[in-house]
Amino acid sequence: MPDDVPPILPLLTAAILLTPFAGFLVLLRAGHRSAGRIAVLLTGLGLVASVVLAMSMPVQSIALRINWVALQHITFDVGFRLDTLTALMLMLVHGVALLVQLYSISYLHDEPRLPRYFSYLQLFVGAMLGIVLAGDLIIMYAFWELVGLASYLLIGFYTERPSAVRAAKKAFLMNRIGDVGFLIGIFLTYFYTNATELPTEGASALPTVVGLCLFMGCVGKSAQFPLLTWLPDAMEGPTPVSALLHAATMVAAGIFLLLRIYPILSPDALSIIALVGTITAMWGGYSAVFQHDIKKVLAFSTVSQLGLMVAGVGTGNPTGALFHLLTHAFFKAGLFLSAGAVIHGVETQDMRHMGGLRKTLPGTFVAYTVCAAALAGLPLLSGFLSKEVILAGAFQWADVQDNGLAYAIPALLLLSSGLTALYMVRQWQMVFFGPYRNHALPLQQVHEPDALMRIPVGLLALLSIGFWFSLNPFHAQDSWFFDVFAPATETAEVSWLAPVSIALVALGGYVGFLLRNHDNNAGAMTRSYVRLSVEYGFLDAIYQFIIIKPIRQLATLLYRTDQRVVDGAVNGLGVGSVVTAHLTNLLDRWGVDGVVNGAAWVAGRLGRLARSVQNGRVQSYITAAVVGLLLMLWWLL
Amino acid sequence: MVLTLLIFIPIAGSLLVALLPDQRAALFKWIALGVAILELVLSGLAYISFNTKQVGYQLLEQADWITVPLGNLGIASIDYVVGVDGISLPLVVLSAVVLLAGVISSWTIDHRQKAYFALYLLLTGTVMGCFVALDFFLFFLFFEFMLLPMYFLIGLWGGPRREYASIKFFLYTLLGSLLILLVMIGLYLSVIDPISTAVAVGFISDPSEATADVVRLIQNQLRYYQLNPAMVVHTFDIRYLADGGNYLPNAFLSLTGEPIVLGLPARLLAFWAVFIGFAIKLPIVPLHTWLPDAHVEAPTPVSVVLAGVLLKIGGYGFLRIAWGLFPDGGAEFARTLAGLGTLSIVYGGLNALAQYDVKKMIAYSSVSHMGFVLLGVASLTAEGINGAIYQMVSHGVLSAMLFLIAGVVYDRTHDRRIDSYRGLMQPMPQYATLTAVAFFGSLGLPGFSGFVGELFTLMGSFQSLWLPGWYTAVSTLGIVLAAAYFLWTLQRMFFGPFWSRHETSTQNGVSVLTDLTAREKLLLIPLGILALVLGLFPNLIFNLTSTTVAQWLEKFMVQ
Repeated sequence: MPDDVPPILPLLTAAILLTPFAGFLVLLRAGHRSAGRIAVLLTGLGLVASVVLAMSMPVQSIALRINWVALQHITFDVGFRLDTLTALMLMLVHGVALLVQLYSISYLHDEPRLPRYFSYLQLFVGAMLGIVLAGDLIIMYAFWELVGLASYLLIGFYTERPSAVRAAKKAFLMNRIGDVGFLIGIFLTYFYTNATELPTEGASALPTVVGLCLFMGCVGKSAQFPLLTWLPDAMEGPTPVSALLHAATMVAAGIFLLLRIYPILSPDALSIIALVGTITAMWGGYSAVFQHDIKKVLAFSTVSQLGLMVAGVGTGNPTGALFHLLTHAFFKAGLFLSAGAVIHGVETQDMRHMGGLRKTLPGTFVAYTVCAAALAGLPLLSGFLSKEVILAGAFQWADVQDNGLAYAIPALLLLSSGLTALYMVRQWQMVFFGPYRNHALPLQQVHEPDALMRIPVGLLALLSIGFWFSLNPFHAQDSWFFDVFAPATETAEVSWLAPVSIALVALGGYVGFLLRNHDNNAGAMTRSYVRLSVEYGFLDAIYQFIIIKPIRQLATLLYRTDQRVVDGAVNGLGVGSVVTAHLTNLLDRWGVDGVVNGAAWVAGRLGRLARSVQNGRVQSYITAAVVGLLLMLWWLL
Repeated sequence: MVLTLLIFIPIAGSLLVALLPDQRAALFKWIALGVAILELVLSGLAYISFNTKQVGYQLLEQADWITVPLGNLGIASIDYVVGVDGISLPLVVLSAVVLLAGVISSWTIDHRQKAYFALYLLLTGTVMGCFVALDFFLFFLFFEFMLLPMYFLIGLWGGPRREYASIKFFLYTLLGSLLILLVMIGLYLSVIDPISTAVAVGFISDPSEATADVVRLIQNQLRYYQLNPAMVVHTFDIRYLADGGNYLPNAFLSLTGEPIVLGLPARLLAFWAVFIGFAIKLPIVPLHTWLPDAHVEAPTPVSVVLAGVLLKIGGYGFLRIAWGLFPDGGAEFARTLAGLGTLSIVYGGLNALAQYDVKKMIAYSSVSHMGFVLLGVASLTAEGINGAIYQMVSHGVLSAMLFLIAGVVYDRTHDRRIDSYRGLMQPMPQYATLTAVAFFGSLGLPGFSGFVGELFTLMGSFQSLWLPGWYTAVSTLGIVLAAAYFLWTLQRMFFGPFWSRHETSTQNGVSVLTDLTAREKLLLIPLGILALVLGLFPNLIFNLTSTTVAQWLEKFMVQ
């Protein structure tokens, strides 16, 4: 630890990290009314503390560590790192968590287990802050898994609903698969560097396999191909949870991890990461096109945007990825919370039963429109700025690659941003325009939510405006963000990119507009391109077929082997010994004893024979003597 | 004195219970409880007085027991030696905790209480004896004597197939004992006690005068056949068995690698014999099939003790005897042994996935988790060995908790099938919560002890120069499988709408599926907290183990 660290920093860090965990315990026992207030208060305090921390932080990064495990000379520390990235993420997590919790107070007011809900949210906040503060891979992994636990508890919050529980389990297991890769990555890092600290800036790259294993953690948590199918199912959780965990913060943890390990990623590893990100961006984008569930469209758009961020890191543009992470957090949380307001109003998640809500829910409509436009990448909004940075970086990256095929990556990313406009316009149209189609609930009963829900939505919409991030509406280069995070480097500028991408967005939006009524006619669902989208490339079916079923069959088969073969051998041995024992017994009675008895019998007979010879008659004696003599003579001659 | 009391207080308690008349039956469980608490206090004293920086055995107590001159075969000597080091002390403390939990869980035993508690206390004493005995003969005595109470506890208080299970348990373990016995005799004939020999040949007049020089002198004379064979004192003392200098140069198990038996040097063969003996106990695939049966049939407290304590004697035997006395074997076969560990991890995990009986599921998960112990030991790294000991402690706590949890539902309905229940969360919310804690702890959630054990054994195996990295990679599958079988069980039994095959079975109109009683909470909550505390502060264990393990590993550095 450098000497000039203000003593307040470690204390503040500890307070920030421990408060939510304390909240987790306290809230388990809190009352229904007080739970939300306590949660908001704690997170609010955390936000204030984070701002104070950010203000009092020296320029260079600070490492705080306490010994955790000591094996003679081998030690592992609980290590934390404070730098500008941490400070930004602390404020982001607290900020979004605060808004989401405020919203939840109203959204879930008649939920009987509300204290438990807020308690889990606090657990999530604590675990997420742990990831953000971690300065050591093992510590990051620990909080990484805790975030998985919080996600499990919140997705499966409605424990009596089997689909929710199944989704929760699926999320945890898929994340575990990624985490195992992450863990092996940690072992590899330890193997090569003899330490598990997060690499510092300027660290040299490690072999490709190390980076790729660590990247597996990101693949799981940030729902990258091929571990992306848990995220749409995670929408089983309450909508504010989707906004906080599965859009704004938790799923972004994978990007954060990539930023932290960026120095050790080899060029090959980066290329593969870029490729995975691009595939994910396209996969998620296309899957979003024909969904009917308002939240699933957003979930797949999240998948797609995360893919874009990952590709941003892979193409050597971590700052751009972080920038998109930040802007995405606001507009996507805003979208989810407005979607929550819509669902709250019409009591369904199926967009085919919505329509015409712009007049009934005007406030929600405005907020939704702003956030959706930001996501689609319309100029003047934040999404436009951050997407441009990633796309420009990707094109520049492709310029310096040896292989011309590298241009496929930026080209596909560009295409996926066109897809974004497509599915967002389609959704926007289906929800807010056209005739109202929900026959179960008359339009008169649909109403705007109360202020507690409107304020967070409004704030997030406001934060989706590009002005906050950059005074120049078309380019983010001179913004405060790049001043802080990449002061030395020039951000990429590709002059033709802005007009082309605006044109693509317009085209995508137009197609989306055309598709607004596509699903209303019967038979649309059976078309193969629709099914490919709705079932997200049949990934789940494939997993069911090539992984889950075989493993379950293997388990059953092994158990049968265990019983029949392994245990069979044991039992066989046991039965064999008993049978042998019986056989020996028989042998003993009839064989050994038989020989003994037989010998006695033979002896007896012989005795009787001998006795009969000695009968006292002279004639017999003479006969015997003569016969004996003759026999002797015959033998001698 | 502490260690001797640790062994003999329970044995005295056992006698007391046996001698008290049956009219005093109400007293038996209280005696058992008192003894168990005393054991916990004593082991706590041992923990406090243990110097973590000191190398070698501590709290040593030694007394001559049997000394017989055998003419040309030398002098036979069996001593009463007890002591602890960083390997045994954590397990002693663990045993005290688990055995106490076992007593509290035995509160509902209602028939033949006298025999039950007498046997339980006898088991307590022999288990402690196993962990603290430093004379191989004494160890073996306790090891064998442990079988007796265990056999009856399963065979008399068990489930429907208890006789099959108990005889299987008994024969399996007896087979292992036989192998250990053979090696023990071989060792005995091959090793001398240099200090007693020095006294016998007259170098010194009293063992207290022994110095390192005297020992070295005797060992030199031994090497060059200068000692009178009739004056050589043979020993079972593990401290002498572990020192290569004490081996007779031409003996059966001498370090020269001669003679060759069945194509292997006798020492390596002996290694395999003791390895198998203890691998049965741990258990390691394919020597594990007694475990699921024993667990399924055993009453809850016996399952708790079996999983929480008895399995650990296998791992302890690895460290103290198999690897401890035959480091050459451990080094020679590191790959094969670690491979067996990996096999156990994956095989146990897959089998757990196929179970419909909660107890069997937990039993196979134990097989999987004990695989980590073997993997860690076979890695021959500081991370791996410390991790293996830690994993044993962690599994002791968590598996005790798991079997108690299985017992809760069995007590109420006498049915442990996973598919007999759904949505237990609703009638039994506290039970569901504590089950979730135990399951997440066992599947290696960071913060709980299971994570630390797995992390360090895996890290050790990955660091190990003896093992290829893919062993570790395959072993990590065990972590995914653990998440799968635990969460799947949680989903099937506890979540969803409530349904039970026993929904209608009510007593006086009250559903039998009532939430936890105070006694059950008293058991489960402290164990959960313990797993959490150990997980957050692993140095509580590593402080004890690290010095001993570092010294233990020196034997492998030389090679």
